[in-house]
Amino acid sequence: MQIWHYDGRNALKRWPELHPQGDGFRLAEGDWTGEPVRWDDLTFISAHGGQPVYGHKSITGWRLGFTGEIPPEIAAHLPAHSRYGGWIDRVGLGRAAIAFAGLAAVILFIGLKTPAWVAPFVPMSWERKLGDAMVGDFGGRFCRTDAGQEALRKLVGKLESDEDSLSVEVANIAMVNAVALPGGRIILFQGLIDKAKSADEVAGVLGHEMGHVRHRDTMQALIRQLGLSVLLGGFNGDVGGYVNGALAMSYSRDAESQADEASIAALKRANISPADTAAFFDRMGQLEKSMGKMADALSYMSSHPLSEGRRKAFADSAVKGHSYAPALSPAEWQALKTMCKNDPDVAKDDSFIL
Amino acid sequence: MQDKDATAFFFHGSWREFAPIAFTNLLLTIVTLGFYRFWATTRERKYLWGQTHFIDDRLEWTGTGKELFVGFLLVLVLFGVPLVILNFGVQALIFQGHQGVAMALGASAFLFIFYLVGLARFRALRYRLSRTYWHGIRGGSDNQGFSYGLSYMWKTFVGYLPIGLLIPWSMMSLWNERWNAMSFGPHQFQAAGDFAATMKRFLLFYLMPIIIAVAIGVATAIFIPVIQSSVGGGGEPPASFLLMMFAFVLSFYLLLGLVALAFYAKYFREAVGGLSLSTLDFHFTATTKQWLKLFLGDIALVICTLGIGYIFLSYRHWKFFITHMEATGEVILDELTQSETRMSKHGEGLLDALDMGAI
Repeated sequence: MQIWHYDGRNALKRWPELHPQGDGFRLAEGDWTGEPVRWDDLTFISAHGGQPVYGHKSITGWRLGFTGEIPPEIAAHLPAHSRYGGWIDRVGLGRAAIAFAGLAAVILFIGLKTPAWVAPFVPMSWERKLGDAMVGDFGGRFCRTDAGQEALRKLVGKLESDEDSLSVEVANIAMVNAVALPGGRIILFQGLIDKAKSADEVAGVLGHEMGHVRHRDTMQALIRQLGLSVLLGGFNGDVGGYVNGALAMSYSRDAESQADEASIAALKRANISPADTAAFFDRMGQLEKSMGKMADALSYMSSHPLSEGRRKAFADSAVKGHSYAPALSPAEWQALKTMCKNDPDVAKDDSFIL
Repeated sequence: MQDKDATAFFFHGSWREFAPIAFTNLLLTIVTLGFYRFWATTRERKYLWGQTHFIDDRLEWTGTGKELFVGFLLVLVLFGVPLVILNFGVQALIFQGHQGVAMALGASAFLFIFYLVGLARFRALRYRLSRTYWHGIRGGSDNQGFSYGLSYMWKTFVGYLPIGLLIPWSMMSLWNERWNAMSFGPHQFQAAGDFAATMKRFLLFYLMPIIIAVAIGVATAIFIPVIQSSVGGGGEPPASFLLMMFAFVLSFYLLLGLVALAFYAKYFREAVGGLSLSTLDFHFTATTKQWLKLFLGDIALVICTLGIGYIFLSYRHWKFFITHMEATGEVILDELTQSETRMSKHGEGLLDALDMGAI
């Protein structure tokens, strides 16, 4: 066996002999003698080709290497080899991997469920403040006329008894979409109202967003988005990726169908026909298929994935032969439709980012 | 002293030895939802450095996974959290119609990130040198890199200003600034790379569009009469024409990639060639063709293994780097004393987060 050594002070390589001394040893080569070193001070550095190298806890660059067979009286004092690092070496790779996988599954599960657990405990007043901070007056893009607001209030009142907890607005933006934002704020975009053939269709869409509000889905999505952006933001440094987050907030499939159920129930209570909403979904689906008008439909589709099942749920809930009342009178529907056009103060539709 | 093929740097690792490291790293990284990657990087480097001989002894990587992890946490706190808050703020401002304020806020965030990128490049190099040992001696720097961050901002900006003509200057100047702040043992690195030698290749970027325009012109002159006669002046253009257009667009990007590679090969040779440490002069020998082979090999490896080959890329790149690294001169061992530079406690977290290479 041969020993090589760097003392960490200069780059000279020495081939000393090792003289045990007390609970450690001393290295000596010719008339050079190193400082006494305790066995405890040694740290494992590496083992290339089975030739281990050791360092010193407090002297950087200090190295002790062996070539050839290490005598057992020395080997007994040397620190253990390290491979994967830390306690993975102690428990073994296989067991560590299984333990990690189990832990990862638990963390993923908690991570996915936490928003749903936490959201109901966020006080409504906080959520309302958050909604106000996020939306404000929407840059003056909310359309307001007396007749239009009266019609909207009536529509909301038919679907929801506790209408004061909601704030429904029509925004002067030519996008076919509707969103539920924190604090019971629901925004219908003018594009959607333009595309709707009747107030009944708007009622179905509105009922759906109200369902999200009731289930605190917006708060859940917000918490999820916050958690994800902290976690993933640290991972890949992609900053631009979540700028458009608030509008792209997506809900789980369960939340979507629950919102649909809430909408259907609300329509039933209000004696409004769900058939029109089904027809609306049908038309949106057609739009999506025809390439030319894809962009129009895309917005609503991307945030509200449309499936045959959804359309069918609305269509099937219509009772044959039952006489439904229209959601709004023709005059009211007209007032709602033209609210943005008739509001002289509304900000222009610049949709620069939306 | 052994001299293998008269090169000072020699890599004697093998991918068979690297494979168990790479695969166990992949496994542990997956089951820890990515958190093992700091320790994975460390294991890889320990192997790669350990298989790299310089003159008569191997290099040694002494960085730890914990350092990289702490670096990552620092990024998360100093950088990630404010940005998330900023994002929500910008969203809210846009919703409320304060687009001017939102844009100003966004712009200042951009400048902040820009600065951090420069700082991170510097810190990563410093970290790597301070954890690289040879003969028990390490490198490092006492410079914190804060002023380098500013240099990075203005030099990059000036580089792009005259239609990008000064990019080679800004790259080389930043390289020199970075390396001049570094040391190994008691010796300061001297970086005197000259960008002028890379300009000829860089100007190819500007020549390319002209050549292509001429080529398209010639091709149209030849093909248009053919097309007109074949379709009789109406109807859809024939498939051969569309194919030709596609080939043009493709070759444009390929040629642009080749020019970039040719420039980078020259740039890297010049940059390393201008680098010296005490009596040692460094050289880098890889030609454009060798760089091209490296990248084509990378692509083939990743595609043929359905992506798994990705875990071998760090090995391939390190091997390429060391194989083409050379040094001439002499190391006087008893004058090569331990570095007195400060050791930072955390790793290259910023750079890691921004996903960039150190050199």
